[in-house]
Amino acid sequence: MNLKKSRNVGASSSLNGIDKQDAESKRKKKVAEITQALSVTPVDVAALRRMAISEGGLLTDEIRCKVWPWLLNVHLDNMPEQLGEVDRENNKDYNQVLLDVQRSLRRFPPGMPDEQREGLQEELTDIILRVLLKNPQLHYYQGYHDIVVTFLLVLGERLATALVEKLSTHHLRDFMDPTMDNTKHILNYLMPIIDRVNPEVHDFMEQAEVGTIFALSWLITWFGHVLSDFRHVVRLYDFFLACHPLMPIYFAAVIVLYREEEVLDCECDMASVHHLLSQIPQDLPYETLISRAGDLFVQFPPSELAREAIQQRSQETASSTFKDFELASTQQRPDSVLRRRRREQQSPPAAEAKKGTLVAVPSSARRFVRLAVMGLTVALGAAALAVVNSALEWAPKLDLHFFP
Amino acid sequence: MADVESSLEFTTSLGSLPPPRTRIFKIIVIGDSGVGKTCLTYRFCAGKFPEKTEATIGVDFREKLIEIDGEKIKVQLWDTAGQERFRKSMVQHYYRNVHAIVFVYDITNAVSFRSLPSWIEECKQHSLGQEVPRILVGNKCDLRHAAQVGTEAAQQFADLHSMPLFETSAKNPSHADGDSHSSNSDHVEAIFMTVAHKLKSQKPLMLSQPAGAQNTVTLQSRREEEEKGGWNCSSC
Ligand SMILES: Nc1nc2c(ncn2[C@@H]2O[C@H](COP(=O)(O)OP(=O)(O)OP(=O)(O)O)[C@@H](O)[C@H]2O)c(=O)[nH]1
Ligand SMILES: [Mg+2]
Repeated sequence: MNLKKSRNVGASSSLNGIDKQDAESKRKKKVAEITQALSVTPVDVAALRRMAISEGGLLTDEIRCKVWPWLLNVHLDNMPEQLGEVDRENNKDYNQVLLDVQRSLRRFPPGMPDEQREGLQEELTDIILRVLLKNPQLHYYQGYHDIVVTFLLVLGERLATALVEKLSTHHLRDFMDPTMDNTKHILNYLMPIIDRVNPEVHDFMEQAEVGTIFALSWLITWFGHVLSDFRHVVRLYDFFLACHPLMPIYFAAVIVLYREEEVLDCECDMASVHHLLSQIPQDLPYETLISRAGDLFVQFPPSELAREAIQQRSQETASSTFKDFELASTQQRPDSVLRRRRREQQSPPAAEAKKGTLVAVPSSARRFVRLAVMGLTVALGAAALAVVNSALEWAPKLDLHFFP
Repeated sequence: MADVESSLEFTTSLGSLPPPRTRIFKIIVIGDSGVGKTCLTYRFCAGKFPEKTEATIGVDFREKLIEIDGEKIKVQLWDTAGQERFRKSMVQHYYRNVHAIVFVYDITNAVSFRSLPSWIEECKQHSLGQEVPRILVGNKCDLRHAAQVGTEAAQQFADLHSMPLFETSAKNPSHADGDSHSSNSDHVEAIFMTVAHKLKSQKPLMLSQPAGAQNTVTLQSRREEEEKGGWNCSSC
């Protein structure tokens, strides 16, 4: 049922000349669907998740204020009425936060009066410090402020604080370790994904020894640091909030793959390739890339890539801890119950989607064909369903724990 | 004449690779967060102070084509993140094959000066030996009135580590707290050009390939003969 809906959306968007009326009516329909999903008891989080992924995402910030909390399983009625005062001086990260927030001018709408922006920057500092003080296990990183500012601008201080805290202890947890080892490990998923789709690009990048740091800011800021149009940033946040915590790395891979010709035309050395890739084009076809990322996630789920990612890691560091896996799995926790329910409802189409995609295809050429044939529709639905799948694939231990 | 010679040398030494037209000098810029690494590199490459900088996440890359004695040279600046957590595992990759190191501190921030030993240690750990030319840059000289690090202390430190010291301002080098002081402040452009000149005088290092151990040994001994106790560039 639900798959069908997103299929309709996807199919019409793949035709080039959608006229305004059509777009407008589609939009209205989507708003109605979201309203509907929000109004039922219990709230239809699975539907909201699909809306966040499918074309256009959640459409407006007004809707985002209502839906994002559900995607993160934050309950508005449990939220404190008032935010406590922040003890700024007593914080080991205060100086760094201040330095970064002061330099965050570009994250605010261009026409915003200075006074208003400065007020928001104060709030931004407070949110960050509040979350850090409450969660001493979390460590501030440069780029965290790029994520928090997005939540602040969409949700306002109170709601943003609650959601950022949840996000920080889940999706962003790995980035907030005392060291960046786990972050680095997540970056190690990038090259295996690229390899599956286009080995030529992969080999070229390996030969150039470009590394993966060009994608670091993409990953740890959910692209908030590199995209200048706020609408694109929030659209991506819709997508990432609805998906598995590793989805940003799939999206990073999709961007590289989208630029395959440029990459292959580039001089094969670290500087040139790093330079090319770290300059992200601002006019990316976001909707197409989002669905491709979903597509790749379904075809090459993290569990399938894990071994290669670990291999890359062991080549670099001797460490062989699997802590990040566990962390990534615990990131699923807030939604595990919901997901179990959705799995019960939806596992047949999920299996179908997977079967369609997991045909062994050896050549890179055919991989491309398959991506094209799959198109938007299956991927959109399947990406949402993949969250269900991946939770199970990723967290056998947690399954025992949460699904007794 | 000299440049023809060196480019020939370069071409042959690369063997089967397509002959690059320009030599590349790869310079890494490191130091605490907020000292002005991004502003300095931007100033050199774009010729002006950036109106808005942002925190550097990971490594940014800038380059500029310069000309020395008629030879075109590409100066690559690797602008790294200052926050400590990025140092260890992240930036590592970018220390490879660098030709020179620029250490930056902020003259208005004593902490950034006290961090320098750990940055030097960082370079050691990434096996960048003493033979790789390095300079020390004290930035934000336009804020001399708020200085926390005196020139003398900085000079001592620089001498101790055999590197030249430059004091400058990425923002306003010519108005370093009143024009009377401007002669005490170097221009960003001149600083990087000095490094480039230095590198140009060290041909064997210029191959943009991993510098062989033998090369570096030769270099080191030669330079030690030439100039003991660091290279002095006060002329610019
Ligand atoms: N007055 C003055 N301010 C400067 C100068 N250079 C940089 N700044 C300011 O210092 C702040 C930090 O500069 P950046 O270049 O972003 O610092 P960075 O070393 O790159 O910092 P990270 O990227 O966090 O490692 C910015 O607000 C700059 O405007 C200078 O020469 N004079
Ligand atoms: Mg910087």
